[in-house]
Amino acid sequence: MNKRIAVLVFPGTNSEEETLRLLRACGGDAHLVHWSNAKLLPKFDAYVLPGGFAYEDRIRAGAIAAHDEMMDYVIEGAGAGKLVYGICNGAQILLEAGLVPGTGDVRRPSAAFTRNGPVPHFICTHVHVKLAIDPQRSPITRGLQRDALVPAWAAHGEGRLAATPEELARLEAGGHVAFVYAHPDGSVDASATPNQSALGCAALVNREGNVLAMMPHPERDGWTYNHPDRRGGNAILAPSGGAIMFRSFVQAVNA
Amino acid sequence: MTQRAFAITLKIPDNAAYTALTTLQRLGLALARVERSEIWVVEDAGDASDFAARMERNETIFNPNKHRLTVIDGVAPRAGEMWIEELGAPRAALGRRYVGWRLLDANGSPASDEMLRDAAERLLCNPAIEKAHRA
Repeated sequence: MNKRIAVLVFPGTNSEEETLRLLRACGGDAHLVHWSNAKLLPKFDAYVLPGGFAYEDRIRAGAIAAHDEMMDYVIEGAGAGKLVYGICNGAQILLEAGLVPGTGDVRRPSAAFTRNGPVPHFICTHVHVKLAIDPQRSPITRGLQRDALVPAWAAHGEGRLAATPEELARLEAGGHVAFVYAHPDGSVDASATPNQSALGCAALVNREGNVLAMMPHPERDGWTYNHPDRRGGNAILAPSGGAIMFRSFVQAVNA
Repeated sequence: MTQRAFAITLKIPDNAAYTALTTLQRLGLALARVERSEIWVVEDAGDASDFAARMERNETIFNPNKHRLTVIDGVAPRAGEMWIEELGAPRAALGRRYVGWRLLDANGSPASDEMLRDAAERLLCNPAIEKAHRA
């Protein structure tokens, strides 16, 4: 029997439908759970935090949502080893909750996905993110090949990883940078990073490997019609698309 | 040139401040009210007497329909207040910008320094990207 995945909906979340749809297309038994039903969350086996603007990004992106009752259960579940995957605003919430990188205390953030550089503008652009850790480092990436490239859409005004130099050194040494921005051929240099994110970081993982926070949206590159070259028709899952990330996540949940 | 500071607040109820209040209360802080403002610290060559009027003419930061401008005595947070500085933010031509948070305790008095520090550490300031200035 498939394990159940909760897709969390905070007030202001706006990417829950495409996230739910791709999880299901990849074999996941996924369900939306709204903030008013937070108490249902312990019954789920894994959590996905989709993108949007939870609580209107009041104070800072993710700051209020990190203290929502839903996050009490997510924090508890993550501590018990449940898999947690945050995308875009969901990633920002996970950082504000201190679950990633997880180098400090819970709800005491040690890093942030913050205002883009070099100019603090919203970007919406197609990107590739490259697996920067051993796939075995995290259950969520175990279904990917080494150096896997995941296409996705970056759509954020605040996606630049920022932290103190000491914390950035800890993140690098501790293998917390799970994905970096890359060119379509897999090469990596500063020009592949659209927002001046520190370390070229597109996604962070916690020490235990069960919580992953990714800024770009693989779910927006799940089908051929939203994959830039429209390979293989117009209605099927793009075999080279962002679905590979979701397949890997669902495999890990059901393992 | 003289350094002067002013605060811009909403005339209407501030939903962000209310959300901060309810979240801080959920965290156990005994607060009755939270006020949020945009704080500007500027170098001014003009006269102090018409400083507020001159700043209110800057339409990029002040809309008379929805904002109230208050000149701050001195250039430092007031009692019960902290200013949050965004680290690495590009400096605006006008001056330095902060987000001001003024906390009033259950008695309606300015929050203590200890309460301010607690609110900063637990919600209002992410030290990875921000710095909290208190009086």
